[in-house]
Amino acid sequence: MPVVLTRLSVFASPLALVLAWLLLARFGGFPAQLLVPPQEVYQAFVELLQSGELREHLANSLSRLALGFCAGALGGLLFGIAMALSETVEAYCGPLFHVLRQIPSIALIPMFILFFGVEETFKVVVVAKASFFPVALAASDGVKGIPRRYFEVAEVYRLPLPSLVRDVALPAAAPPIVTGLRIALSRAWMVLVAAELLAADSGLGQMIEMSRQMMRIDIVMVGVVLTGLVGFTLDHGFRLLERRLLRWRDTP
Amino acid sequence: MTAILNPRLVGAELPQPGALAIRGLNKAYRIDGRPLPVLQGIDLQVLPGEFVSIVGTSGCGKSSLLRLIVGLEREYDGQILLDGEPVRGPRLDCGLVFQDHRLFPWKTVWDNVALALKHQRLSRREKAERVDEHLALVGLTGFERAYPHQLSGGMAQRAAIARALITRPKVLLLDEPFGALDALTRIRLQAELQRIWAQQRSTMIMVTHDVEEALYLGDRVIVMEPRPGRIRHEVQVDLPHPRERNAPRLQNLRDELLRELTGD
Ligand SMILES: Nc1ncnc2c1ncn2[C@@H]1O[C@H](COP(=O)(O)OP(=O)(O)OP(=O)(O)O)[C@@H](O)[C@H]1O
Ligand SMILES: [Mg+2]
Repeated sequence: MPVVLTRLSVFASPLALVLAWLLLARFGGFPAQLLVPPQEVYQAFVELLQSGELREHLANSLSRLALGFCAGALGGLLFGIAMALSETVEAYCGPLFHVLRQIPSIALIPMFILFFGVEETFKVVVVAKASFFPVALAASDGVKGIPRRYFEVAEVYRLPLPSLVRDVALPAAAPPIVTGLRIALSRAWMVLVAAELLAADSGLGQMIEMSRQMMRIDIVMVGVVLTGLVGFTLDHGFRLLERRLLRWRDTP
Repeated sequence: MTAILNPRLVGAELPQPGALAIRGLNKAYRIDGRPLPVLQGIDLQVLPGEFVSIVGTSGCGKSSLLRLIVGLEREYDGQILLDGEPVRGPRLDCGLVFQDHRLFPWKTVWDNVALALKHQRLSRREKAERVDEHLALVGLTGFERAYPHQLSGGMAQRAAIARALITRPKVLLLDEPFGALDALTRIRLQAELQRIWAQQRSTMIMVTHDVEEALYLGDRVIVMEPRPGRIRHEVQVDLPHPRERNAPRLQNLRDELLRELTGD
């Protein structure tokens, strides 16, 4: 296939979807208030953009995401490494950790609202929780999975501890950890939008929920599409970073 | 102060380092809780600057013996003395070329080799020169920036040899270092190894499956037998270095060794 066609093939399925949506809205016999045609959704998007409303919602959501993800991922990284290195930590915290990580973050939202109220804290905590567990698991497995033969080489060459960490342990454990971070970021984003749906005074989720109550389905659709696009962009950015960091692997 | 301690100035008064003494060495691995003896009653004296080749069938414990000498295996019975001191763990003056190359896949060839110089007090430029020099020695010039997965098996093994040589250890253990190489490269690297050995006057112990290689390089060839691993036979190769590859004496010894290895 020519390169240009391969590049364009990315857009084939979204275009087909929009087309189907267009046709269904026009000829499907659904009420226009429920199945808003794509051009009206685009109209709403432009209006929200111009009024600056959209930027504010997005900025609020993304800053919560950044704060919660950084805290959760950092904590997960430290906890995961501690669990991999210390049998004591594993013995004392392991079982509880594995039970807690089975609880969907969304199921914890009601409880977190009771504990932390409906303000910022609760959303950041939910995001941090959603980030913590995948990263902790990946870090623990990643560090435990470092092949012993690499440490033997380090031993033979008597690498000092800082070099052992920087030149051997970190890069060896990096692939699963970077993947864990990427998965955590995706999950954190989804949970955040869900949390905003339930309780917030701003953010993408809140915009969706408010518009639903006001029967502005066009704005609801703007929110839904944007949620998908933001999630995709974050994930894709991380994939690029992953490829750059792990270019020493023979599998791309 | 260095004048007094410098062995070159003191001359023969200080013994040259690199002596290895193994006495009554037994080693067993545990498999499923039951001990599996892999080495039994190994006695071996290696003089400073000696080149010892070890041959033996697969699984007779050659790699295990090298791992014990370098200090990676710490559970054993008997004595392993390096310059009179019991081996308690890896030391900088004892190097090992592993049977598998064990380059770090996340480091380029150049960085892999340079990592071995962590302990040397060298300027950045001296380090770079030494790495380049050793990569040239094993014929890897032009592949400095390559990652291990971009190398062939033989090239990776050569990089691993460069990594071990660059630290100039007093005792160098080599576990089938030329196993993955073609005949021509193998012959060239054998000659290089011999040159380095003669120049650095270090002790070398090399495991190989190639009887001719063992005889060509070794002052002595140790023949091991399996289950459990023991030393069965020893051949002194009383020819001066550098040697003629097809010297009649080597041919005779080769026939003798092959008989020893094949006929029970
Ligand atoms: N870590 C280990 N745990 C258990 N058994 C081991 C371990 N390492 C080696 N062995 C056993 O010890 C024996 C000797 O292994 P070793 O690797 O020393 O053989 P070798 O002489 O180097 O063989 P080859 O020529 O195939 O490399 C084998 O039977 C092997 O199964
Ligand atoms: Mg072996």
